[in-house]
Amino acid sequence: MPTSLDAIVADLSGCDRQERIELLLDFAKNLPPLPDRLVAHKDASHRVEECQSPVYLFVELDGERVFLHADAPIEAPTVRGFVSLLLEGLNGATVDEVLQVPSNLVERCGLGETLGMLRVRGLTGVLRRLKAEVTRTAIDRARSGTDQPTTTPI
Amino acid sequence: MGEPYAHPEVLVSADWAVAHLKDPNVRVVESDEDILLYDLAHIPGAVRIDWQGDLQDQLVRDYIDAEKFASLCSRAGIANDTTVVFYGDKSNWWACYAFWAFKLFGHGDCRVLNGGRKLWLEEGRPTTTDIPRYAPTRYTVKGSEEERIRTFRDAVAAHAKAGRPLIDVRSPKEFTGELLHMEAYPQEGALRGGHIPGAKNVPWSRAVNDDGTFKSVAELRAIYEEEVGLRPGDPVVAYCRIGERSSLTWFVLTYLLGYSNVKNYDGSWTEWGNLVRAPIAKGA
Repeated sequence: MPTSLDAIVADLSGCDRQERIELLLDFAKNLPPLPDRLVAHKDASHRVEECQSPVYLFVELDGERVFLHADAPIEAPTVRGFVSLLLEGLNGATVDEVLQVPSNLVERCGLGETLGMLRVRGLTGVLRRLKAEVTRTAIDRARSGTDQPTTTPI
Repeated sequence: MGEPYAHPEVLVSADWAVAHLKDPNVRVVESDEDILLYDLAHIPGAVRIDWQGDLQDQLVRDYIDAEKFASLCSRAGIANDTTVVFYGDKSNWWACYAFWAFKLFGHGDCRVLNGGRKLWLEEGRPTTTDIPRYAPTRYTVKGSEEERIRTFRDAVAAHAKAGRPLIDVRSPKEFTGELLHMEAYPQEGALRGGHIPGAKNVPWSRAVNDDGTFKSVAELRAIYEEEVGLRPGDPVVAYCRIGERSSLTWFVLTYLLGYSNVKNYDGSWTEWGNLVRAPIAKGA
């Protein structure tokens, strides 16, 4: 796991239930705004279908490095917090590092007992979707045979 | 003013709630789909009771037992004679679920805040992030309404076979069997799609307005009586996927329209859609 994600997991898993909720809420509050150039592209192709709330995810590659942007409503703080956590933990990671993030990340953060099984399943779906998008973006770039920074189809 | 609700006292307005914020006999309870909403802001003095973490048993698929319920109420400063007012996100869908669970344990005075969390915030009502602490109460579970308001698979099978009214409150695509779960919600493990034979589809959300308040008696009668043909004395079973959405329909039929015999089948589709040899109907 990338060091920054590792540190987040250690922080979250090391605290009690209420602290964990507050930490996740801090992540939710600190999700960086979507860059202006991406705001116009909040469409179905970037919507995270696994989420009932309107969550949008953008994957960009610069060399081997993955850069993520996302938007999620503050009225859905749990998913917004988790998306924000993923961005902070994975921005600048390599494609391989992202793909190797353990699929039980939500549990590893200690969020299982805090959120309950059904909510964990929803968040795990976000991680799955993120990995699928990273894979798709990497494949698209390999096919187009360019080393230019790539973003998912815009 | 149209016809009043059958039990108007169970629905409270935001004005009523504001007037009772400091009333020691009233406890406001927030129950949400998104557990973090409470921490973002809640009604001053409100406690969080989570349907997954607090009301459900963590091992067996069931609710907590009477002893745990008593200790939950004690921690929340709820005594046997406390008026408990539920509110939450998603048009009070989870608030009704918590209300139903409280009734399982026979709690007397349960109410729902009309409009829920969304309307409260939209109207700029007071909120806080302070988590209140209450002196523990001596709560004792005195009875159970389970037999009256909850039903299980064998009884549902007999009910369906006898052609008695069944209301499936899931979305139309879940009802027809096209989808195994709510659109955009994670799949929650049913192997077969469709509905219990004879069930009529009335999505739960038809009972609420856009602002989260409940529809009027006339509007509700038009849906449940003129359209679906229910009658107030009918034995009705409502179900959905895990029994949460149907608890809102149970609330509407029981308290707003005054039906005397409505049960929630909380096993719902995640049980029925996995039962070996259970009859299933597909299509509209």
